[in-house]
Amino acid sequence: MEDLREIESVLEAVLFAAGDSVSLDKLSEIIGQDKKTTAGILSGMEMKYKNSNRGIMLRQLGTNYQLCTKPEYEEYIAYLGTGRKKQGLSQAAYEVLAIIAYHQPVTKAHIEQIRGVNSDNVIATLLEKNLICETGRQDGPGRPKLYGTTEEFLRVFGFSSLNDLPRMGMNDIQVVMNDVPVD
Amino acid sequence: MEYTGSPNNDICTIKLKNFEGPLDLLFYLIEKNQIDIYDIPIVEITDQYMEYLFAMQQMDLEIASEFLVMASTLLHIKSKLLLPSRKEEEQEEEDPREELIIKLVEYKKIKEFAEILKEKEKVWSRVYYKLPEALPEAAFEVILDVSPQMLKECYQKCMQNYYDRQNDVSQKMERILRQEKVSLRLKIKELLAKLKRGIRLCFSQIYNLRHMSRIEVATGFLAALEIAKMGKAVIHQKEEFGEIYIDPIIRREG
Repeated sequence: MEDLREIESVLEAVLFAAGDSVSLDKLSEIIGQDKKTTAGILSGMEMKYKNSNRGIMLRQLGTNYQLCTKPEYEEYIAYLGTGRKKQGLSQAAYEVLAIIAYHQPVTKAHIEQIRGVNSDNVIATLLEKNLICETGRQDGPGRPKLYGTTEEFLRVFGFSSLNDLPRMGMNDIQVVMNDVPVD
Repeated sequence: MEYTGSPNNDICTIKLKNFEGPLDLLFYLIEKNQIDIYDIPIVEITDQYMEYLFAMQQMDLEIASEFLVMASTLLHIKSKLLLPSRKEEEQEEEDPREELIIKLVEYKKIKEFAEILKEKEKVWSRVYYKLPEALPEAAFEVILDVSPQMLKECYQKCMQNYYDRQNDVSQKMERILRQEKVSLRLKIKELLAKLKRGIRLCFSQIYNLRHMSRIEVATGFLAALEIAKMGKAVIHQKEEFGEIYIDPIIRREG
């Protein structure tokens, strides 16, 4: 497989058939190219889908890739469905998710420290919705569980990787603290 | 503590809102009063916070313990600020609000990001994915760990056996003519005699399909097993279908 257009067609066919996200490893194995080249081809395809008259688009989810419809065509796709509406998350769930996204891997205790309230139920809900997962245990007393975000998190909130999260400038607190007037 | 309440309608508007926790409530008060988060007028905020708790109490709402912890923290900070501090300590004394401010700033960032998440979800919930195809499992054969060399060796061995047997017509005829009578007892005797010499025997050297019939080889094998059972020999085989070695066990009597 030398021809770029042929490779792109192969990747498109594979991704369509897969439906689910496919890892970069697998894709590069299929087209017989190294990972860097494959990633390059895929990001080229991503742009092509974006900029041409296509109803579908290519999404990067961490190190995986998946095809999906473009958001702007939802109203047309809706005709096919029965009008089901996905149930959204609670305010608390968004907050906990936000904390986990920025502080991962993070313990429940740390989450609760930041929010100032018990977060058991919210964590259980997020685990159930597969937006977060246990990533291991922290060394130390009690070896508490550590939580991190999942591929589903990237998918639902439209991020291509964790590097894609908006910068929050957590570090500027210290700088500002010095300017706090003491009365 | 003196309770300095503001007009009641103020409380009513607060009451309607359901707060996630003490930080959420505090944050709401800061936003409502348009206060600089880094310079919180702790007296005012504490009063308003307490007002909310009293309102909750009046409505017979259960106040979560977290709210009470924050209330005591606020009152603690307030008292620290009100009490005149000793001059010597003044220089090194930290702002008692510092810890609270750090918490609030962090909480604010999280809240902001939570809003971003909500907005992004709105867009990306409009996207559809296809279900995976039920692709046949065995699309690819399992890859065996073999080499062309191994294949060649296998073939050579196989063909060698084949030619040997083909060329060995005379012995074959002889065998058929012999109308063999094979007995286990005889085989054991035979084998024991060979073992007496006290050297290792190769099974394939003694019993081989090239010179004898299948039944004879099989009986020879049984004989070897019997001898091993009797404790007069030990049988080794390093790998499957590999050479079988029979080592005699020599007992020194006396």
